[in-house]
Amino acid sequence: MLEFIDVTHLHKVASPRLTNPFAVRSGEGVRGIHLTLEPGRILGLVGPNGAGKTTLLHLLAGLLKPDLGTIERVDDAIGLMPERVAWPGPGTPSEVMRRLCTMRELPSNIGEEMLSTVGLSKRMHDDLSTLSQGMKQRLSLAASLLGNPSILLLDEPMNGLDPVAQSAFRSLLRQLADQGTSIVVSSHNLNELERFVDEICVMHRGRIVAKGDVMEVGRRVGVDEKLLVEGRGEVDLDALARWNPIYAATRGEGWQLTLESGEETPWENAEMQSLLTGLGSATVVQIERAGHDLESILEAVTGTATSFGLLDGGEEE
Amino acid sequence: MSRISVILRLAGLDAWRLIRGQRMMVMFPLILLFITGACWGFADPRIELPGNIPTDDPAVVLYLASAFVLFSSTLGVVLLGFDAVSRRRMTGELAIDFCQPMRRDDLALAQLLGVWAAACAPTAIATGLGIIAIHSQMGEMPAVADIAVFTLATGLLLWWYTNLQMLASSWARDLGSSVSLGVGTWMLFTMIWLLVTAIVATTMGVDATDTSSAAFDAVSERVDLFSPNGLYQLLLETRLPGDAAPSVSGGLLAMSTAVWTLGPTVAFLSRMRSIRP
Repeated sequence: MLEFIDVTHLHKVASPRLTNPFAVRSGEGVRGIHLTLEPGRILGLVGPNGAGKTTLLHLLAGLLKPDLGTIERVDDAIGLMPERVAWPGPGTPSEVMRRLCTMRELPSNIGEEMLSTVGLSKRMHDDLSTLSQGMKQRLSLAASLLGNPSILLLDEPMNGLDPVAQSAFRSLLRQLADQGTSIVVSSHNLNELERFVDEICVMHRGRIVAKGDVMEVGRRVGVDEKLLVEGRGEVDLDALARWNPIYAATRGEGWQLTLESGEETPWENAEMQSLLTGLGSATVVQIERAGHDLESILEAVTGTATSFGLLDGGEEE
Repeated sequence: MSRISVILRLAGLDAWRLIRGQRMMVMFPLILLFITGACWGFADPRIELPGNIPTDDPAVVLYLASAFVLFSSTLGVVLLGFDAVSRRRMTGELAIDFCQPMRRDDLALAQLLGVWAAACAPTAIATGLGIIAIHSQMGEMPAVADIAVFTLATGLLLWWYTNLQMLASSWARDLGSSVSLGVGTWMLFTMIWLLVTAIVATTMGVDATDTSSAAFDAVSERVDLFSPNGLYQLLLETRLPGDAAPSVSGGLLAMSTAVWTLGPTVAFLSRMRSIRP
């Protein structure tokens, strides 16, 4: 287990002056972080660029020391998969793993087993320069899994992975979590992330602004749930405008609606049925509530804007 | 496995990776040409050097060849070490290294030993072939003590340069800075140290235009204690007979050697303890 109590870390930024060319000042970082990693849970770390996700991962990994606050570690076995390790070589995946095994005082065959686990067994003796970005990601994953870490920290792990590898990756993470590993995944791929995390931690401008499962965080930050309605028959789509439909389309004899649920939105099947029937000769076939999606949550937290200016937390402070 | 064996194994893996690298393919022939070629050339009985420097003693030939070690092997260390830390830092490999349950001091020492061993390998081969060339030309080999002092001093020289390069590499944040710091350090000690010596001599009231005077020689030897190249030459000169031997005391030489051997190493280990990957 790992617990952060009011942890602050600010990067030192070069700030040369005439009297002191080596002067530094405190720059961006993370502030007042309270976070507990529990065994068997997958935590998704989300936030705009410059929110402090990588800094937090490096603090969790012990690569950075906090300026303020306390970190309580019960176990030191931590595996880190940094974002886009270049693995320039010279060398082979097998040699990379042998080097890491030497550092961990493990037999080198363990490294080769890890390469097999991530699907690199056929390329383990190829030169690193011949590996694709996805294969290099797998190598980074194999490196992070070495020594059965109880805490696994992954920074943008899906970059460069093909859909099949992503699916295998998700299964592997779930398997590790089921075995008791605490996993933290930082990712910009929100759609992908919400498919396998147990809870999310939303960061903005160096602070954790929300933490919990996606639904809970969505409710807390005031993101409306969505209502997916499918039906048949005639419906006056224009008349639905008062419910602010996000999506409305007809398909053959059927139609589909996606509504943002608000206080005035009809929730029950019968109520919806009567309202829609009043608009035409529609029959509601199915009403489904959709959970909060991460993208909406992130937009809500960071200013409900998709323009770069507002999303770039690092620029404004 | 003990800590030392882990460090040595890691150093061996790093050295082997560097030895098989492209840079070594460029470096090795150059070092071979410089050192072995110098031994072959200076041992030629027909050679006449300016200033009537005698070349009839194998030990002197080895000493003269050391000038080419200063040019080629030290440049080799620069080529191998200028980005040894900075590149791993930029590619993310250093972060992975630091997450392993190995002390940063041990990792830093292993990296130092790896680069040093990779730089020593071609120099040792070139020197071995050079000694054979001396024997082939002169019919005799340098004394075992001369070879031992040459080998030890060359090993130390490469260690000092490895430390300087690794330290520079740990400060650099990009490839350009790595190259600038690495080559700049090498140029300072290899190319422009004489200028530093001349400035110090002039400041002390010694005529810097007469480099053969005893006064300038005395200043030069003391200034050389602050340069790895100068110290290397002084160590080798201890094996030369008569006036050619250095006038600085053995104690000063030993102290300077100890400071150069340990100082930058301690600085590098300290730097690696605080570096942010």
